[in-house]
This record gives sequence, structure tokens and C-alpha cells, in this order.
Amino acid sequence: MRNLKKLVAAAAGCLISTSIAFAGAYPATAGSGAPPAIKDPAVEWDHLWREVIIDITIIGVVFALITAWLLWRYRRRPGNETGHAPKLSAAAAVAWVVIPTFVFLADDLYIAANGWQLWNVYREVPADRLEISLETGMYSFDYTYPNGLRTQNELKVPAGKPVLLRMTSRDTLHNHFIPDFRVKEDSMPGRITYLWFLPKEAGKQHVVSCAAYCGVMHSYMAGKIVVLSPEDYKAWYDKEGAKLNDTKSAAERATAMPAKKS
Amino acid sequence: MAHEQAHAAHDDHAHAHWDTSIWPFVISFGILALALAFSFHYVYHKPFAAVLSLGIGIPLILAGIAGWTSEAMGKGEGLSFGAMGWFILAEAMIFLSLFAAYWYLRLNAPVWPPAGSVPLPKLIPAMMTVILVASSLTIHRAEDLLHVGDRSGYIRWLLATIVLGFCFLGMSGYEWSHLMHEGFNIGTNVQSTIFFCITGLHGSHVVVGLAIFIAGLLPALRGNVDEGFARTAGLYWHFVDIIWFFVVSQVYYW
Amino acid sequence: MNIKEWIFTTDHKRVGILYLIGSMAAFAIAGVMAMMMRIELSSLGPTITDNPTTYNVWLYSHGAIMILAFQIPALTGFFANFCIPLMIGAKDVAFPRVNALSVWLFYVGVILALLTFFVPDPPDVMWTGYPPYSTITTGNTAFYTFTVLILGFASIIGGVNFLTTVVYMRAPGMGWTKLNIFVWCTLGAFVLQLIFVPVLGTAVTLISLDKYLGTHFFDPTNGGDVLTYQNLFWFYSHPAVYVIFLPFFGVLFEIVATFARNQVFNYKMVVFGGIFGIVALAGVVWVHHLYVSGMADWLRIGMMITTLMISVPVGLMLIGLVGTLYKGSITFETPMLYASGVMFLFLIGGLTGIPLAVPSLTIHLARTYYVVGHFHYVMAVAGTFAIFAGVYYWFPKFTGRMYNEFWGKLGFWITFVGTNIVFWTMMDIGVQGMPRRYYDYAQFPQFVSAHQLMTLGSIILGIGFVIAVVNWIVGAIRGPKAGDNPWGSHSLEWTTVSPPPHGNWPSPPSVAENWTPYGYEKR
Ligand code: HEA
Ligand code: HEA
Ligand code: CUA
Ligand SMILES: [Cu+2]
Repeated sequence: MRNLKKLVAAAAGCLISTSIAFAGAYPATAGSGAPPAIKDPAVEWDHLWREVIIDITIIGVVFALITAWLLWRYRRRPGNETGHAPKLSAAAAVAWVVIPTFVFLADDLYIAANGWQLWNVYREVPADRLEISLETGMYSFDYTYPNGLRTQNELKVPAGKPVLLRMTSRDTLHNHFIPDFRVKEDSMPGRITYLWFLPKEAGKQHVVSCAAYCGVMHSYMAGKIVVLSPEDYKAWYDKEGAKLNDTKSAAERATAMPAKKS
Repeated sequence: MAHEQAHAAHDDHAHAHWDTSIWPFVISFGILALALAFSFHYVYHKPFAAVLSLGIGIPLILAGIAGWTSEAMGKGEGLSFGAMGWFILAEAMIFLSLFAAYWYLRLNAPVWPPAGSVPLPKLIPAMMTVILVASSLTIHRAEDLLHVGDRSGYIRWLLATIVLGFCFLGMSGYEWSHLMHEGFNIGTNVQSTIFFCITGLHGSHVVVGLAIFIAGLLPALRGNVDEGFARTAGLYWHFVDIIWFFVVSQVYYW
Repeated sequence: MNIKEWIFTTDHKRVGILYLIGSMAAFAIAGVMAMMMRIELSSLGPTITDNPTTYNVWLYSHGAIMILAFQIPALTGFFANFCIPLMIGAKDVAFPRVNALSVWLFYVGVILALLTFFVPDPPDVMWTGYPPYSTITTGNTAFYTFTVLILGFASIIGGVNFLTTVVYMRAPGMGWTKLNIFVWCTLGAFVLQLIFVPVLGTAVTLISLDKYLGTHFFDPTNGGDVLTYQNLFWFYSHPAVYVIFLPFFGVLFEIVATFARNQVFNYKMVVFGGIFGIVALAGVVWVHHLYVSGMADWLRIGMMITTLMISVPVGLMLIGLVGTLYKGSITFETPMLYASGVMFLFLIGGLTGIPLAVPSLTIHLARTYYVVGHFHYVMAVAGTFAIFAGVYYWFPKFTGRMYNEFWGKLGFWITFVGTNIVFWTMMDIGVQGMPRRYYDYAQFPQFVSAHQLMTLGSIILGIGFVIAVVNWIVGAIRGPKAGDNPWGSHSLEWTTVSPPPHGNWPSPPSVAENWTPYGYEKR
């Protein structure tokens, strides 16, 4: 009976600490004044990654040490020919289920809460952003800028401004993977998916690689993201935009002409 | 101790023979031939090889089933009723996954029915439902009679069930050809795809059910009735009947 | 020896051995494919083939064969067949002919998988077979469909057979809490197979229907949806990893209990907490394979939580396994050596699944070599080691002879070293961004040396596996005669002669009131 009481107390303790872990980790910032600085998902990713790796390393090392010690301590020695594991009392047997369950759950929920928080960073795109649409196909990434400018396998972006890609595909699945920005998402026919990232250092290039098996040349489907300083970017964008307008109006004139004639 | 006994037995049985059966082997390779036939026809466009391979596969499978039933019938693999329960669980999952695909596509569709569909008939499925329910009752009656030892009664009601099953298939075939005539083919749009796959899958289960009945009927006519087999076949048939309610309500009347 | 009595056999032990031979052949072939891939990846640009499709076919066959034709048949075919009737004291399975059908269908599936190397336009759809690629490739997707269907059907009828056997054919006195942990684990695996294989069967059938009969399930231009397939596929294929995990953990329990001469720690926790928990959760986590596939956000978050929760039942099973060592009397013959290895390596594999369970981390890790590293640690290392441990452990029972202890241990240490070189490096370059399913990696030249290290490591681990298999072959032919119970185990399968005769026991065994398969102290 006393055992049982202890057990209930322990379980209650576990439950409480679990909920504290969850509450503590859950974002409490919602609704607090001042426009928040833009959170860079890539930086946050590295942060959470380190946290989770430390967490699972501790669990792994603890389990490994216990196992190694048991293997060593209870190796066969003279006078020790059979095992003598004590028979567990009912309370102990239940405790061995309940306590580990809550300890593991606590850790799970802690990780889940942090993961959720980072997930929101990944999915809530800052309003001040550069929006680009991407169509993938075997085997290229075709970007279209807001002004209709199109590029293939190379995306020039200004430093410091969030970039949002709206993606679709014209044939098979593809995936726009930018290892440096810790982000990827599939593109597929019939749906539009999105991802965003925050380019920071002007002058840098970042590899883009297809991360969804899409056919024979899957591994050759790659591109790059070129980060320009905002001024350089503007100059380039305006120049290309103007060129585009020239050819566009030329084309318009060309198609409009016969109409006029008739 | 079990130990010494086993040793003694081992010496006795040193040359004892081990049970064998050739039919599972035969059926398996028949199935291999069918798989190859599909590839020959649809992938490599070699109709002759496909026919040849069907010509090998189908006789192998039929021979296998015939050999198997004549070898095992009446030897009472008496646990088959319980096993059928597990098997039905697996079967139900096939239907569930097709229905899941259906719900997923339909609920995500901008408009339903999609362009190209024709109105599905409402009267025929109602009649088919009545027939199938009736066949469930007749097979139940047959089992009851068998249980009290009335073999000829069993055969009569079993025959009635088989006839009802064929009626069902006939109506299904009529309906299919009617729809195809109106230009509603398996490739028309998602609705037709789903319609033909679900009704086709159900129909194939009716075929299998009938095949099981016939496999039991032939020995029964020769006076060799296996009650376990009869009950198992009946269970399968009830399952096919129940699935039909889902097909009717989801595919025809929704 | 009468060859006809082997090929047409319906005896569960011989059927089991046929399964073992077939699945080991599959392992060898898929292992050779792995070697080819490793050599190809050892340098930038073409190494031994200049055709990416060749590489893709190797990869397809490697993945599909390893999972569907090696591990699942070895575990639910060989071990289940050989051990379950002996462990529950039955003279055979409920339906011996169905059992024979299931093993020959398995061979047909393997033959179909091997034909991949001989037909024109072989399948190149990866073991996942995602449309739209699988419905537009010139490769033979029908082969993929039929391989999966036939192996799946073999597995379903096997499952029906064994569930019926255990429910109805236990020896007198064999209560549910006296079953070996292995039997429980395998039951769990078969329940999963029965529920989920049909879904996989449907999924792969639908791609062939789409490709060859013109249906529109996955065709967005006609109202279909490509994600339907991925959902159906993973709805099976996640539980499939527990179909592998459960029986291999069951094998470990048998070995650890025997070599520690100890009762299983907290049996009921393992069965009702661990196994039941895994079976219950297995079906509600599949979206963790679709974290970067464009699923709805609420599904990704929901399944993050369920996926993380799987660590609870798995953790309970691990506690049961490690706890069995407590106050034991442990010796380290080859089976126990492999089993101890798994206790450490599974930790790496299982715990590296934790970051993958978090969608915001997976958004970087998915489809990289980190994932490849994770699942090779759990399956290719922990799973294969457990299978090897089990084969070593029951070797004297099913052959009546003994393998060579020295070569057994040597093989273990060589593989142990090799696997860690290969699969640890995989996770490392994965985190740095190396995508999987790459024939070439020109955009990532920084990984060349890591790939070369892995190629080297894989040769080492391959040597270890070959030593083990050769050891078995030699042992089975001319090993010294083993006794009926060389390990001094208490479990029922060791009470009959080695190898057991047809019918297993001359008179059906029954077990006493206080008997358990792990009752070492009472003896
Ligand atoms: C036997 C096979 C097996 C097993 C057992 C597992 C076990 C697990 N796997 Fe793995 N997995 C695969 C085989 C397996 N996996 C395969 C084949 C793929 C790739 C398929 C493909 O794409 O081709 C894959 C891919 C895969 C993904 C998708 C990655 C991607 O493609 O983006 C994810 C994501 O969540 C995942 C997670 C997990 C988790 C959480 C577990 C858990 O079950 C692990 C639980 C175990 C532990 C956690 C360790 C022991 C427990 C404790 C010590 C208790 C305390 C621990 C905590 C509180 C954390 N796996
Ligand atoms: C159980 C499953 C399993 C096992 C055991 C293995 C074992 C191995 N795997 Fe595999 N692997 C997968 C399952 C498995 N793999 C899956 C599911 C994929 C993903 C597929 C996909 O993307 O679709 C994959 C993908 C995969 C890749 C990724 C390729 C890519 O993404 O481009 C690589 C790369 O190195 C690899 C390597 C290896 C190696 C080196 C081994 C080694 O451990 C193999 C060692 C074995 C041998 C060398 C055979 C030894 C020989 C014998 C025993 C015969 C002896 C007999 C006589 C002498 C008579 N595997
Ligand atoms: Cu595009 Cu892979
Ligand atoms: Cu999974």
C-alpha cells in the first residue's frame, strides 16, 4: 500500500514536470508589442539542432554506459552460474512503466515544443519580402521575378531581404534544396508549395540542389543563389527589367501590328 | 522427459517421410507467368509472348487449385474459419485504402462530378443490393441446413446463392457496358477511374467468392462436404456483401 | 537427403530454411549492388558506369530487395517459421500448404526482382516508386508493382497462418503470458502486416493502373493528386519498419535472456507497454516521411508529436532488454556478441530518428545522407546484426551442427568496425547537405574524401558479412555435431532434438503451471 502511494506521488510529479517543460518551451511571445526583428530560420535551425543533438547524446551515453556496465559487471564468473534477477513487485513493475514513460514523454514534448516554435519561423514569412515564382522541370529551376523577368538555375537576390519562393512543377517531383539556408520543399504538378530564406552576405553564392528523385539526371539538377548588395541588385534588376520591357513592347508591337492592319 | 522421448522418436522416424505438396509450387509459378504476361503486353508490346505466358500461367494456377482442393478437402483444415477472420481484415484494408483515395480526391476536387462524367444509374444498384442481400440469406440458410445434417438441402441453397451471385455479376456487366457506351470509360476522369476501380475490385471479390463456392460445390455433389469449408466460404460471402453497402452508398448515391 | 521432400515440403522448419536461403541470397545480391554504388560514388563523375540509369537501377534494386526480399522474409519468414511452432509447442503451423505457398511466392517475388537485371528498360523508380516519375518513366514500373504485390501477398497469407497458429495451437498450459517475447513481437509484426500491406498493395497497383491502363489517380491534369500515393505508400511503409524492428528485437530478447541466463526484465512491460504501444502508434506517424512534400501544416505538427511518442514504447522495450542483463551470468559467444553490438548501435540509429521527427529540423535533413545514415543504423546495422545473431543462435538447432566460434567473432568485429565507418560518415555529410539518390555530386566536391572513406569502410564490412556466411555454410556441412541444447536455454524449442524431426515432438509437449521460457533460477 505504501508503495502504491509513493508510486502515485511519483507519477504526479512526473506529470507536473512534463507540463512545465512543455509550457516553458512554448512560445510566450505572441502578441507582445514592437515589430519583431526578422528571425533567420537558418540560424535558429543551427541552434535547435545543437540543442537536440546534446539532448540525444546525453540519452545515448547514459543508456550506453549503463549497458556497458551491466555487461561487464554481470559477466559469467565462478559461483555465478545462473541469473538472479529479483522478481519485481507489482508496484515496482508498474513504476518501471510509468516513470520512464513520463521521463521520455517530458523530453519528447520539450523537443516538440521547440520544434513547433521553429516551425512557425519557417512557415510565417515576413511581410516585407521578395516574392519569386519557381517552376521546376526535368531538369532545371526556372525562376520568375515579380516584373516578369525569368532566369534559369540562377537566382540573384538582394542581401538582407527575405525571399519567398512559390513553387510548382511541370513534370515530376523536384525539390529546391539550399543546404546553406537549411531549407527545402518539394515542388509538384498540380499544387503550389512555398519556402523562404534570408540571404545575408552580399557577394556569396549558395548551392541549390534537387532533393527529390526526379529521373535520370536528378543529380545534375543544380543551380545557385547569388546574393548581391541591395544596390547592385537594384541596378541589375532595373537594367534587366528595362531590357525585358523593350523586348516585350517590341513583341507586343509585332503582334499588334497585323491587328491594326486588318 | 520430452527430451528422451524425442530422441527415441528420432531414431524410429529417422527415415520417416516428410509431408509434401506440389500444388503451392505450381500455383506460385503460375502467378509468375501472369506477372510476366502483364509486362509482355503492356510494357514490351509483345502480344504473342503475353498470350504464351498466359497460356502457361492460367493452366498452372487452375491445376494448382484443383489439385490443392482435392488433396485437402475434407481433411478438415478446421481452423480456416478463424483464419478467414484475419484474412478479411487484410481485405477490408484494400477497400479502405481505395475509399481513402476516393475521399481524398473528391474532397479536394474543385468541382464534383468532374467534367466528362455522366449521371450514374440509381435503379440498377438498388436491385443489385437486393440480390446480394438475398444471396447472403440463402447462404446462411444453406449453412443452417448443413449444420443439421441436410446435405441435399445445403446443395440446393448453395446453388441458389451461386445463381444470385451470377445475376449480380450480370447486372454489373450490363451497367458497365451501358456506361462505357455513353463514353464513361476508366480513363475519362477521376470519377470514372474511381468508379471502375472500386466496383471492379468489388466485382472481382464476387468472382472469387463464387469460385470458392464452386470449388466446394463440386466435391459436395460427389458427397464430400466439409462443414468448415462451407462456413468459411459463407463468412467470405457475407464480407463481400457488407462491402457492397459501402460501394453503393459512397459511389452511387453520394 | 531427398530433394523432393525439400522443394515440395510443407513442414514449417524446412519452409523456414527455404526462406533463410532465399533471403540470404537476396542479401548477397543487394549487398553486391551496394558495393557497386559505393565504388561508383568513390570519385566525382563516372567511375564504373557512365550511365546514371544504371546507378539508379542498382539503387532501386538495393533498397527494394534489402527491405522486401531480405529483412522482412528473414524475420517473418525464416525466424517466425522455424521458431514459432517450436516455441509454442505445436507440431506445425495451422495451414502447412499455405505456408509452402507463401515461401514459393516469396521466391517468385525474388525471381521477379532479379529479372530487373536482365530485362530491357528495368525499373528505376526507387523503392518508394513515387509518381509522377514512376508513371512517366520508360522503365518497367510493372515489375516494381508485381514484385511488391507478390511479396506482399506472400506475407499476408503468412500472417494469417501464424496468427491462427498462435491463437489456436499453443501447447496445453501455454498461457499468453508464457509466450516467448519473440512470439509476441512477431505477432505484433504480423498484425501490422495484415493491416498495412494491403494499403501498399493498393498504392503500387494504382501506379501501374495509371501508367498502363490510363486511370487518373495521380494525374493532376485530370483531377488526380500526386500526394495520394505518398500517403498510401508511407501509411504502409512506416509500419513496415516496425515489422522489421519488432521481430529483430524479439530475437535479441531470446539471445540476451539465454546468455545472461536470466528472466526477461519486466515481461509485462515489454509486451503490453512496448509491443502493444508500438503496434498502436505505428499507423499514425506516416507523415514524418512527407515533411517536405507539401502536406498541410497541422498534419506535420500532429505527426511530429506522435512520432516523438514512439520513443516511449521503444524505450520501454530497450529497458526490458538491457534490464535482462541485471544480475545475470553473461557469456559472450558469437550470438551474444552480435546482440550486445546491437544494444549500442540501435541507440545511435533510434536516437538519430529523433531530429528527423521534428519537421523544422527535417526541413534541412530530409532526403540527405543523414536519413540514409539513420536508417542504415537501425536496419542495415541493428537489424542485420540481429538477424545474424539469430541465425548463429539457432544454428545448432536447425542444422544440428556447430559453427566456428573464432571466425564468428572475427566476422563480428570486422563488420562492427566497417559499419561504423560507413554509416557514421553518411550522417556527417548528410548534415552538411549531401542529398541522397545522387549518381554524381559535382556541386559538392567537398565530399569526395568522405565518400572514399565510406567506400573503403563498406569493403571492410562486406568482408565481415562474407566471413559470417561462409562460416555458416562450412558449419552446416562439416561442423562438429552440436547437442540438443548447447546454450542451456530454458525455452521450449531446445527440448527437442537437433535438428527437430517432422512433427517436432513425438508426443505433443505440455508445460507446467510454473514454467516460463526464461525460468533459469528455478531449474
Ligand atoms: C527498422 C527500421 C527503422 C526503425 C526502427 C526506425 C525508427 C525510427 N525512425 Fe526511421 N526510417 C527508416 C527505418 C527505421 N526507422 C527508413 C528505412 C527510413 C527511410 C525510408 C526512405 O525514405 O527511403 C526512415 C526514415 C525516417 C524518417 C523520415 C526522414 C525523411 O525522409 O525525411 C523519420 C522522421 O521522423 C524517421 C524517424 C524515426 C523514429 C523517430 C524512429 C523511432 O522508432 C526510434 C525510437 C528509438 C529511440 C528513440 C532510441 C531508444 C529509446 C530510448 C533510449 C528512450 C529515450 C529516448 C527519448 C526520450 C528520445 N525515420
Ligand atoms: C535492410 C536494409 C539495408 C541493408 C542491409 C543495406 C546495406 C548497405 N547499404 Fe543500403 N539502402 C537501403 C537498405 C539497406 N542497405 C535502402 C532502403 C536504401 C534506400 C534506397 C532508395 O533510396 O530508394 C539504401 C540506400 C543505400 C545508399 C544510398 C545511395 C543513394 O542514395 O544514392 C548507400 C550508399 O552508400 C547504401 C549502402 C549500403 C551498404 C554499403 C550496405 C552494406 O551493409 C551491405 C553489405 C553486404 C554485402 C557486401 C553482401 C555480403 C555478401 C554476402 C553475405 C554473400 C556471401 C555469400 C557467399 C560467399 C556465398 N545503401
Ligand atoms: Cu529534380 Cu531531382
Ligand atoms: Cu517512418
